[in-house]
Amino acid sequence: MTAGRYFGQSIRRNEDARLLTGRALFVDDVHLDGMLHVAFLRSDFAHGTLRGVDCAAARARDGVVAVYSAEDLGDYWQPGPLLVPPPPIKGHVFHVATQVPLARHKVRHVGEPIAMIVAESRYVAEDALADIEVDLEPLEAVVDVERALAVDSPRIHEHLESNLAAHVVQQKGDYARARDDAAVVVARRFRYDRGASAPMENRGIVAHWDARAEELTLWDTTQAPIPIRNGLARLLGLMESQVRVVAPFIGGGFGPKIMMFYPEEVLLPWASMQLSVPLKWIEDRQESFYGTTQERGQVHDAEIAVTKDGTILGVRDVFLHDSGAYDPYGLTVPINSQCTLLGPYRVPNYYSEFTAVFTNKTIVTPVRGAGRQHGVFVMERLLDLAARKLGIDRVQIRKRNYLSPDEFPHDHAILFQDSAPLLYDSGDYLPSMEKAEELIGYRAFIEEEQPRLRAEGRHVGLGIVSYVEGTGIGPYEGARVTVEPSGRVRVATGVGTQGQGHFTAFAQIVAEVLDVDVTNVQVITGDTREFGWGTGTFASRGAVVAGSACYEAALRVRDKITKLAGEALEVAPDDIELSNGRAQVKGVPSRALELGELAVRANPLRGAVRPGTEPGLESTAYFGPARGSTANGVHAMIVEVDPETAMVEIKRYVVVHDCGHVINPLLVEAQVQGGVAHGIGNAFYEQLVYNEDGQLLNASFMDYLVPTSTDVPSVEMGHVVTPSPLNPLGVKGVGEAGAIPTGALFAQAVEDALRDLNVEVCEIPLSPNRLFDLMREAGASARG
Amino acid sequence: MIVEGDFTFQGPRETVWGLLQDPEVLAKALPGTKELTQVAPDQYEGVMQVALGPITAAKFTVKVELKDKVVPERYDMMIDGRGPVGYTRGVAKVTLAEHGDGATVMTYRADLQIGGKVAAVGQRLLDSVSKMMTKKGLDALNDELKKRLGP
Repeated sequence: MTAGRYFGQSIRRNEDARLLTGRALFVDDVHLDGMLHVAFLRSDFAHGTLRGVDCAAARARDGVVAVYSAEDLGDYWQPGPLLVPPPPIKGHVFHVATQVPLARHKVRHVGEPIAMIVAESRYVAEDALADIEVDLEPLEAVVDVERALAVDSPRIHEHLESNLAAHVVQQKGDYARARDDAAVVVARRFRYDRGASAPMENRGIVAHWDARAEELTLWDTTQAPIPIRNGLARLLGLMESQVRVVAPFIGGGFGPKIMMFYPEEVLLPWASMQLSVPLKWIEDRQESFYGTTQERGQVHDAEIAVTKDGTILGVRDVFLHDSGAYDPYGLTVPINSQCTLLGPYRVPNYYSEFTAVFTNKTIVTPVRGAGRQHGVFVMERLLDLAARKLGIDRVQIRKRNYLSPDEFPHDHAILFQDSAPLLYDSGDYLPSMEKAEELIGYRAFIEEEQPRLRAEGRHVGLGIVSYVEGTGIGPYEGARVTVEPSGRVRVATGVGTQGQGHFTAFAQIVAEVLDVDVTNVQVITGDTREFGWGTGTFASRGAVVAGSACYEAALRVRDKITKLAGEALEVAPDDIELSNGRAQVKGVPSRALELGELAVRANPLRGAVRPGTEPGLESTAYFGPARGSTANGVHAMIVEVDPETAMVEIKRYVVVHDCGHVINPLLVEAQVQGGVAHGIGNAFYEQLVYNEDGQLLNASFMDYLVPTSTDVPSVEMGHVVTPSPLNPLGVKGVGEAGAIPTGALFAQAVEDALRDLNVEVCEIPLSPNRLFDLMREAGASARG
Repeated sequence: MIVEGDFTFQGPRETVWGLLQDPEVLAKALPGTKELTQVAPDQYEGVMQVALGPITAAKFTVKVELKDKVVPERYDMMIDGRGPVGYTRGVAKVTLAEHGDGATVMTYRADLQIGGKVAAVGQRLLDSVSKMMTKKGLDALNDELKKRLGP
């Protein structure tokens, strides 16, 4: 689909009036008669044997209605589902250990829920937590990923022989031979550490079992209401139609709000049924630091083999992945790292091996980027190091290795996270790089500005890196499009929405097909009663998969309109065109019917609906792409480092992005800008610091630093369009793009700024403290 | 967390040793102690309350056990304190050495694990708070010693 009146235009968001005037519903806005409040007792210990939980005193407290420990759950106590089974990679090892609703026999990370209290108010519930007596024998905590695999390491899961969660090898070609042929081999150890998703709105749940209607309604800050409905129905022994899950407006998802079946998500509905009262739990910020999933702990030992002119012969990467205490999300994150490493480059020989390990830390599941960061970091750093060793310009070495447009679709000959082959649908990488060079002024900076500023003693540097992003994976999403008698159009789809602009993007697609005003298209997302088929919002797939379903459904409605209008106006359907909310005879605007009037005609009060036809101007369609579409981009930035404080100031930040056809440039730019902010946080501000006992030492915004608006530059953006052949809109995902290459970019730019000190950055996140240490170490080794 | 240092008492070693075994004195020497009772030989239990930045009244149920005692030279204190805002547990090694001029030098080294909310939000303050508490405790011990020895 190419740009038209609505599609491809920078249209302001339909949902903003509601959001900006405080009329949008968030989970905490739900207040129900007789609603009680829930608090959770969470483990202070990272690892320990749970010998007993005495709730008697808590139960006796005034205002407490119920207290549950694991043993009070009876048969309902069971480990959560394995959400994503590993792809069928030959020879892979995978050990399942999914999270439990309340700890029984053992606690495995700080913050793991041990007991649940239902009380008249959250205050009473929180006070009653102190009444519970926990008999716990502390065990040595497993924190470091390498130490976790040592034979004498304590075991986190008794049913397993070790802390090994998975082991996977994927390869193509023959790296060992490529290495023998190489002019230069560069090897390093790279580290990436954990951060929090830190959404503005924490998690929250309101569960309401209506005993008379025999219906359960759950308001849930989930990215995937339909899988949650299906899973809860199964757990609670209800029909799926008896469960309604509503994911209303959500203040940021970023991955951890996916279909997790978090303990709170599983327990509130059950307790509401036990007690026949509505229950509310809203996560506080500290709970979020412990209880909401996290990401990014990996250690890579990687090397690259290149020829004299910088052509990549092969890459070898062996890495450890920190799964945290449980692994309900399978291997998605490390496989993304493994696949994304290849980037936009021709890599004929690749050996990639990872070992995922359990640790006594919060569970790891995808957070915006979902493992792609690590792959990009390793590859881009290797290219930088190889370029320096060969004396080749860093842009040149990238250009030399880009896949060329005639190599698509490109089969990387390994498996992606969706179990499909890692096959790039389309791409043209050189124009992205050239545009980024032009926007940041690459040549002028390195040849004139940087030397001049350096001569003044200033530490300015430039970074420029490439990445690809697998987006828009299946299995499918659906949409229902209805023209109502008012002439307004309603679109319902199953994906959840967390601020991306779905109410506008989907409306634009439908408005374009039906030629109605975009503000007359009302979009409903994330309510299983409105649309009950689909999976959810993740993997940058909303626009690609749900967007295409909206398009297909709108096309079908258009067919119904032209057929009905043709009959009414006595012309062939092909002679009807849609214009401005009317169906008219082509070229004869005076012979027209309003869409609303046609909607009334399509639903007659008398007469019969003919066999093979349906009433109404409504249609439902589904879309499932064969595989994901591969977006790409180049980020570039200019920084200045203060050598005394090691503070980094970002002077300029450029993103050139190719996500195929753009539905709404404003929304794409907002996604990229937000992603860059997230990426800058990951690169320089945010780090979850665990000590050797598995205690999280900075579980509050006093100590966990997120970048503020003054730390995040306004991103200068360029678009390149290589449409995806895998969906009718030709779009690719963009939600995670901004956050993916930022670490690699930061590393290169800071190194460039500190070239006189010979600082090498092989880890993310940095911080002023860490950078200061690196500068001192580099200085010491230079003197040494 | 490691808390370590030494302190010179102006008094004989036996007297200092006696002070350190007296629950009433110990209660004064451990700042924030609300109660401390001897439940068995060398075993004490009690309640402590400390303020740590945003945590204004962190209450701990504390168990202290003295081990490997060599009268009047040294002992180990096993500490296990738990409460709604976290825990602290570990070993404090205490030695007393005679100083030539009738003074006694106490050397202490506590290796403590701190967990839960106390660790999560109080981390930056732990060091300064523990130093302050140690100083308070030692001053209290010293005062008590002076009282016992008389003017």
